[in-house]
Amino acid sequence: MSAPYTGLDREALICAHCGYCQAVCPVYDALGWESAGPRGRMTLAAEVARGNPVEAAAARRIYECTLCGACREVCSTRIDTVAAWLDARKRLAAHGALNGLPLGRLRDNLTAVHNVTGDPPRNRLLWQENLDSAGPELNGRNGAEVLYFVGCVTGLYPQGHTIAEATTELLTHAGTDFTTLGGEEWCCGFPYLGLGLPDEAARTAAHNLAAVRALGVTTVVTSCPSCYHMWRHTYPTLLGGSLDVEVLHASEMLARLLAAGDITPAPLDERITYHDPCDLGRNSGVYDAPRQVLAAIPGVELVEMADNRENALCCGGGGNLEAVDPDLSARIAQRRLAQAIETGAGILVTSCQQCKRTLANATRREKVRLKVLDLTEYLWRAWRMTDRE
Amino acid sequence: MAEPADRLIHPELAALLGDRYTEDRFERSFYRRDLASVPPFLGSLVGRTLPAAVARPRTTEEVSAIVRYAHQHRLPVTPRAAATTAYWNAVPMRNGLVVDLNGMRGLVSLDEERLVATVLPGTRWEELGRALERRGYALLSYPTSAPSATVGGWISMEGHGIGSLKFGGVAGQVVRLEVVLADGEIGNVPGTSRVSGTSASGTLPVTRFAAAEGTLGIITRVELIVRRRPGAMGHHLLVFPHMTALQGAAVALAAAAPRPFYAHFVAPAYTEFLRRAGFEPNASGPLLALTYDGEPGEVAAGAENVRREVGRWGGDALPAAVATREWEERFLALRLKRAGPSVLAAESWLPLEEIAGYEADVSALGRQQGLPTATYGTVVAPGLATVMSLYPCDETRVISYLLALSLTKKLYDVSFRHAGRPYGTGVWNTPYLSRSFSGTEAAARRGHKAEMDPLNILNPGKSYAPPPLLRPPLFKTGMEILAGVRRAGRGAL
Repeated sequence: MSAPYTGLDREALICAHCGYCQAVCPVYDALGWESAGPRGRMTLAAEVARGNPVEAAAARRIYECTLCGACREVCSTRIDTVAAWLDARKRLAAHGALNGLPLGRLRDNLTAVHNVTGDPPRNRLLWQENLDSAGPELNGRNGAEVLYFVGCVTGLYPQGHTIAEATTELLTHAGTDFTTLGGEEWCCGFPYLGLGLPDEAARTAAHNLAAVRALGVTTVVTSCPSCYHMWRHTYPTLLGGSLDVEVLHASEMLARLLAAGDITPAPLDERITYHDPCDLGRNSGVYDAPRQVLAAIPGVELVEMADNRENALCCGGGGNLEAVDPDLSARIAQRRLAQAIETGAGILVTSCQQCKRTLANATRREKVRLKVLDLTEYLWRAWRMTDRE
Repeated sequence: MAEPADRLIHPELAALLGDRYTEDRFERSFYRRDLASVPPFLGSLVGRTLPAAVARPRTTEEVSAIVRYAHQHRLPVTPRAAATTAYWNAVPMRNGLVVDLNGMRGLVSLDEERLVATVLPGTRWEELGRALERRGYALLSYPTSAPSATVGGWISMEGHGIGSLKFGGVAGQVVRLEVVLADGEIGNVPGTSRVSGTSASGTLPVTRFAAAEGTLGIITRVELIVRRRPGAMGHHLLVFPHMTALQGAAVALAAAAPRPFYAHFVAPAYTEFLRRAGFEPNASGPLLALTYDGEPGEVAAGAENVRREVGRWGGDALPAAVATREWEERFLALRLKRAGPSVLAAESWLPLEEIAGYEADVSALGRQQGLPTATYGTVVAPGLATVMSLYPCDETRVISYLLALSLTKKLYDVSFRHAGRPYGTGVWNTPYLSRSFSGTEAAARRGHKAEMDPLNILNPGKSYAPPPLLRPPLFKTGMEILAGVRRAGRGAL
């Protein structure tokens, strides 16, 4: 449990340089230099807080972080390190640091078309062309109870499309009254925060909340743990008050539907392992719902990885790291993949489209026969088996 | 951060290690400190702390090649892993090379028959404990900084901590050390006898080697005794009316069978300090936390001992859930820093029967100095504790911070009065060498160093003699002046 954040200058002084954080940092593990670990980063953040000019290498180190929160989990002085890293980025961005980093394209995409890829907004609907059971009335329907907030990676990357499809099919078959924002959905704003641009994040949050309120829904469900964290924990702060909507991650929604008997999966006689996404687990505290979903599928044997739940290793895909240094992101994914392989599981399930991307890419690079699926895809697979029977 | 080879001072090392070697100034600058926050100007008066290069070996052979190169070129070598002390044990004093051992990490093998784990030196104690636990085994002892402290580092520091009361110091748990000696040769130090191997550098018992703070060799592999995971564990948190009663109970319980696995105490000021830091302590008052582990019968016998001594010394046992929480927070003493934002401290070995007198004197000193001082400690053997006393300060107020430094010396004076001595030497405790070791012992230590490392390659500037600024007459006078100025200026600073 972190102590209340008291500002970068004071928190940087409180840092004891004990190195607890270094022992768990995926970036430090991959790079090995003191400057690349959280206590080195805190030294740099102290300089930033003092308003001292920092060299390009220092700015890069502050952005070479997945914001996974592992350092916050173990911090001996209970510093909310993720808040500190975001604060440092904000101050750096205000002094033009983004211009010296490979983040300009991401910022431009977000500004121009409100998503991370630069696709036109209409492309957010492409995944719907593959649906079996839902039609065009899926989007922007007034009076629905639930808003499915698809997210950029799920909606715009081909690897994410099947997650959106599975989620939609499951909600439809469970009889959930839901809709989406379609092309009106904007990025949740988390990449803006990661860039150090909280004002822009607040603007995009305000757009999304207004769109949701206009539809009159009572619940927002996200596929993406970062979207979930933004909606659930950051929007109220950015927008200055309660949202008056319930926010659920897809895993929580599905756990409810399973518990209510609205979804009845068929048995899958498989050994799987589960990867806790950082923004769902450590950063939002949701560990049980995905496991409840998996436990509800008869025959599934869940084998936990050596590091799981709050100790789970990061996949390398967070904090805009992929844009800053894709190779570093890949090295981090490789380490997590190794733990998954150690379990002997044939399927690696996660609850995040970005974790799915980074880990699936790692299996291809390493030429490993391990299938990587999002939880919704896995449950949909069990559901379809039921249908066939 | 690779540099062009033609601009490197030591291209041979770059060729050996590739991107695990750097002479980049930005990267090197991070190796100038440990836990201690030392004003830069003061640091520069004490030593040349910026290394010329940092090397990150992954194998014993690479460490050997680096040290052999250093030996040939008369380059100082500072071994470093997590750098979790505050005495500059792992901070360069004469530039040179930092050999960062964090990349040599992991449990290599576990001999389940002999109960011996082979471990690399950069392995964190907590991660080693977890790796063993997954296989049904456990450590005999580990440091109170286990999440970051490394196997090689703690052994080098005469490690005593959690589990030491029951199983002794870590040096006694070493079956064999593999070390790279000052000339680059790889030696083996059996746990019960003498250095062997190809080096002609001399012989030394493992206990001596293990407390040398990296001045006699670089530990590259450790064979460590482990145990089967205990079947039961029982936690107790006791509150006493005063420190004398706590001391009485601690002395009795530490000496009784079964021996507690862990015994930790805090003085009342500690809990107040914790509140100031924004945390609610599990209880107030002099607290003694005890943990017994082993077979259920042993744990039950420990509980019976606790009941007896609680009654005898007028204490109270707090609920089991509170005791468990205290145990779970055993790595979090540094939370106190939130009351700072900086802290200064003195850590000592202290006879257990002196802790009440020591704490009373420390509290009086703190009141006199206007610096409330929190004391806590770990019982590491029957009759022996390691005790930390720390006080809040603010390093951004440089003058006030420097003046506050004088209290650390006074805390050590209190420790010496109670037959204590500083825990660890490094650089900052070198002024107390003549008070910590007898003349014979000090001469023997210097003799071992001269024999094993005649060129003074390994971790120079530490452990054996103070740098000029810290030599006792100058140091003592300087500290007295700072203390005097501080007393005179209290309230203004």
